[in-house]
Amino acid sequence: MDTPVKFSRISRAGSAVLVGALALTLAACGSDNNTGSDAGTATASASAPAANISGTFAGAGSSAQQKAIQAWTAAFQGQNPNATINYDPSGSGAGRDKFIAGGLAWAGSDAYMSTDEVTKSQTFCGTDGAIDIPVYISPIAIAYNLKGVKDLKISAENIAKIYTGKITTWNDPALAADNPGVTLPSTKITPVHRSDKSGTTHNFTDWMNKLAGDVWTNPGADAWPLQGGDSAQGTSGVAGVLSATDGSVAYLDDSGVTSDLETAKINVGSAWAAPSAEGAAAVVSASPLATGRGANDLAVDIDRKATADGDYPLVLVSYAIACQKYSDKATGDFVKAWLSYIVSADAQNAAAQAAGSAPLTGDLQSKAAAAAAAITAG
Amino acid sequence: MTTTPTSPAAPTAERSPRRRPRRHADTERGFSRVFRWVTTSAGVLLLLVLAAVAVFLVERGWGALVASPADLHANGGLPKQYGNLLAFIGPLVFGTVLAAALALLLATPVAVGIALFVSHYAPRRIAGLVGFVIDLLAAIPSVVFGLWGTLTLSPVIAKLWAWIADVLSAILPGTVNATPTGRSLATTSLVLAIMILPIITAVSREVFKQTPRLHEEAALALGATRWEVVRTAVLPFGRSGVISAAMLGLGRALGETMAVLMILSPGLGYSFQIFDAGKHQTIAANIAANFPESAGLEVNTLIATGLALFVITLVVNMAARAIVARRKEFSGAN
Amino acid sequence: MSQRIDVTDLNIYYGDFLAVEGVSMAIQPSSVTAFIGPSGCGKSTFLRTLNRMHEVIPGARVDGKVELEGVDLYGPDIDPVAVRRNVGMVFQRPNPFPTMSIRDNVLAGVKLNNKKIAKSEADELVESSLRGANLWNEVKDRLHKPGSGLSGGQQQRLCIARAIAVKPQVLLMDEPCSALDPISTLAIEDLIQQLKTSYTIVIVTHNMQQAARVSDKTAFFNIAGTGKPGRLIEMDDTATIFSAPQQKATEDYVSGRFG
Repeated sequence: MDTPVKFSRISRAGSAVLVGALALTLAACGSDNNTGSDAGTATASASAPAANISGTFAGAGSSAQQKAIQAWTAAFQGQNPNATINYDPSGSGAGRDKFIAGGLAWAGSDAYMSTDEVTKSQTFCGTDGAIDIPVYISPIAIAYNLKGVKDLKISAENIAKIYTGKITTWNDPALAADNPGVTLPSTKITPVHRSDKSGTTHNFTDWMNKLAGDVWTNPGADAWPLQGGDSAQGTSGVAGVLSATDGSVAYLDDSGVTSDLETAKINVGSAWAAPSAEGAAAVVSASPLATGRGANDLAVDIDRKATADGDYPLVLVSYAIACQKYSDKATGDFVKAWLSYIVSADAQNAAAQAAGSAPLTGDLQSKAAAAAAAITAG
Repeated sequence: MTTTPTSPAAPTAERSPRRRPRRHADTERGFSRVFRWVTTSAGVLLLLVLAAVAVFLVERGWGALVASPADLHANGGLPKQYGNLLAFIGPLVFGTVLAAALALLLATPVAVGIALFVSHYAPRRIAGLVGFVIDLLAAIPSVVFGLWGTLTLSPVIAKLWAWIADVLSAILPGTVNATPTGRSLATTSLVLAIMILPIITAVSREVFKQTPRLHEEAALALGATRWEVVRTAVLPFGRSGVISAAMLGLGRALGETMAVLMILSPGLGYSFQIFDAGKHQTIAANIAANFPESAGLEVNTLIATGLALFVITLVVNMAARAIVARRKEFSGAN
Repeated sequence: MSQRIDVTDLNIYYGDFLAVEGVSMAIQPSSVTAFIGPSGCGKSTFLRTLNRMHEVIPGARVDGKVELEGVDLYGPDIDPVAVRRNVGMVFQRPNPFPTMSIRDNVLAGVKLNNKKIAKSEADELVESSLRGANLWNEVKDRLHKPGSGLSGGQQQRLCIARAIAVKPQVLLMDEPCSALDPISTLAIEDLIQQLKTSYTIVIVTHNMQQAARVSDKTAFFNIAGTGKPGRLIEMDDTATIFSAPQQKATEDYVSGRFG
């Protein structure tokens, strides 16, 4: 027993150095100083009961989930004092890559795995492959800064026209038509987008494409597909530019809208809806799952055209990616317990408090709980 | 009378007729020998590190360099409008060089001015204070410059840029656009200029201080005013030093990531609309912005652009050395 | 072309330190006046007050009078820059501008004075100045080569050419041969003899034979001890100083008993 423990310490130290070096090169990305360690370095004792998790486990991926995971980690480690969880918010793509390569216990991702990635994951996860479980839902707001103007209504078509340069001033007739009784100034519109790749951009562009496909022709993508225009790094960067610029408008995670900005209502069917956690969760819960995937693979194809009362379809779903079956028992036990906790009502409410996300509800929540419980180990 | 270490004798008087091989065993013992090894290994280590970086860039960038355009479009993060990798790297190189060149253009005259003020004009106490402030500026991390640039400077200076753009639009054919957010290449270059100011100033100041007293007195004795002393004795003597200083600054400006990332609204293209948003992007900022969400071949593509930056930096430094060497005969080094 | 200098009760300070005290002397036009004396006696310091070069050192100042043809160089409305254009100087070590060609070195002073001169005029001035400095024949084929490529003696003569190109009234030389070999020294001494017909020349030298060879008048400076100010001990015709000085100290110095 002595020797393997020693070895694992060395390798942990080694990987800490490696991650440290990576953090240095990525200082630009604002990743916090997580010292990760490989899933394989778990020092769990085989005889421990499943409820009592111990060891060090690493996850990485979506930075949108970071705040929620911090809250979850604190609570989970409180219940399992021998477990250490390190999450590196290095980005969804990097997280998926590292997970497929076998370097993580689980990954966080703003997009579900492509079928290609599911196939590749079989190398690490075995023939059952990896699954996506929705764990984090967040409405995306259309925020703006326009002196003296509140309660604007902006349709998907109009925002697409703004971003494609077809509407350039706030008193454009198309905007005025949706906002009767509001005096719109002739201020130039400055649309701002995310300069970094992001799940927020992916969901926003997908929403515009689905609802105003004749104006916004590009399919949803992490990277902003058009050239030119103002942009900023990260949600806080976009919010900062909005605050400083009169006449600006942007999409950003609802939790990142600062108090000096206004939030626009978007068109849902024939009605107008402001971003809300309930509306976002309702849309995700009612959306169909992607077809042709495993039974426990809960990849949601968000129904952007949802029109039910209170729905808010401009929403981001972020997933936990895990193996259906883990060959390493300690890791498998951990992931099962961890994900079961994350999708529980407790954890979802904690995330809503900490990160302003929308708790999973209804059918989807029970499906997610079932998928987490179906993870096997050993 | 001040004496200076410059040799009055002709160079021929100092050159030994024949170089004899050095025999270290005879003359170097103990610490001297250890020191020789320490310095040699430091030099070798430097070369090894440089080689390691080059190898890393080539090895990790290779995937993108040899991949087919179709593969790059599908998996390599290559935007659809660019037919191949080079067409994608081109605008990035353009943006990088333009941002750095503008910064250098803004910073060098100011830096030389400050350096001359400190070395030749200011009373000793004020010179010390100015020197201290400049050194302090060098210690500010780039992320602070980035924050300041994006939160404070951009919104304020946007109005100035808008005004300049209006004036230029009136003078030049075509329209010069300015973004109301101020997140343009002009703002970025301005902040880069402030960031490279300390290094150019510090090196120039040291070079100007080294101006032989004899040369300054020669000019004074001919009836030169202070400015004429500077022009005839100080500037020519410090020229190669100032060029070296500027190149150090340029190197920093070319590679600066954080400030550009935070201030500039990026975009790809060849454009001189330096007051508009979304027209330029630098290599370093592009890597930092896209690396976190990139995977597989996309990472190779980014590293290939990093290789391009490495090559630019090498070329710039070699060009600078060539400029310094070209007029070596007149440099006063002999 | 040459003017006389009258110095009255000149005290020279570095900050609070009195370096030279109570000098009065008359320097004749179109002659060579040599300053001799032991190291630290203030002869170079004194020389540098004659073209107001002394005051470029921070804290340095003088009181007393230095008159050039009756005009007080330290008068309230006198520009030191203008003084230096009238009183040229050659230094201990040759100091041509290293970044300039031989031709540009000669023209450096003229160009400083903001005169735009025609090329033919400039060519003429370069030739006459270099001829005046006995350097023309040696450098006429490489006027565009850097001045720093010349030998030490040639460089010093280039500096003399540069000084006389601005046509000064007075030429100050601060140990102009101390960094030169004997042959170059001889060339400079010959040159001094030629130049004295056109300029008032004041030369500081360590070398008593040189003073005896080139000068018409000699002034002997001495210092009583470390920290004490230097003083002018005696000034007379060179022949008198070296053969029958009035003062004991002068005799001791010129006969090589100290210094």
